[in-house]
Amino acid sequence: MGLVQREIEKAGIPTIGISIVRKYSEKVKPPRTVFLRWPFGHPLGEPFRPAQHRAVLEKAFDALYTVDVPGTIVDLPFRWRREKYEK
Amino acid sequence: MASHSRFKNMLIAKIITRFPSLANRFIDAYQPWETEGVPWTPVSKPLNQSVLSLVTTAGVHQKDQTPFNMNDPHGDPSFRRIDGRVSLDHLMITHDYYDHADADRDMNIVFPLDRLREMVDEGTLGGLAETHYGFMGHIDGPHIVTLINRSAPEVVQNLRKDRVDLVLLTPG
Repeated sequence: MGLVQREIEKAGIPTIGISIVRKYSEKVKPPRTVFLRWPFGHPLGEPFRPAQHRAVLEKAFDALYTVDVPGTIVDLPFRWRREKYEK
Repeated sequence: MASHSRFKNMLIAKIITRFPSLANRFIDAYQPWETEGVPWTPVSKPLNQSVLSLVTTAGVHQKDQTPFNMNDPHGDPSFRRIDGRVSLDHLMITHDYYDHADADRDMNIVFPLDRLREMVDEGTLGGLAETHYGFMGHIDGPHIVTLINRSAPEVVQNLRKDRVDLVLLTPG
């Protein structure tokens, strides 16, 4: 994923990636990444939890607009299945 | 033979999704492409005026498209164009290297198109592109060159044609 992200960014379009394997992101070095210690196949969280998905998207867009050091990986604070997102 | 190895891959995928610590063995064995430096393009437009395209490596494609090739141990470096107006019911996942049982029930957990559409309706996101892109992760060996030299430039060309301002990438 990071390789495609790098090519898009290189072509002049800003990108943000969601990662669930920190080591890959550290090695491939995409421009901006938010990282979650969540299982494979669940970058936005659990099925049918729209508030959870939105929480991840909000953090991703925050990172897109605030990260100013290329290659930054932002560790998101959400624990797997132990947070409350619904208001 | 091919179906036997597909079964093995899918079994491993189920186990490492259930027990993430076991995944470290596979992560350490994976030798990613050597990269130099970090590309950078500053963001120039606010989110509520930006058109976004979604790019996933979770193996998502339309049901009417050719599935990704699961019999090549190096993966499939091609991509699928996903119509921006598509309903998530018309999408499916072909990817044996992670357990997508949950994503099959709600595609938004790997391809959050409904959530992004809600953001457009609310006015927090400017708009969505006419096309999104589905790749399969787990690309290895000679296919990495194809991914970088052929697939990625085609996607870039399309993103420019569609006047896309931002790209969000999601893994499987």
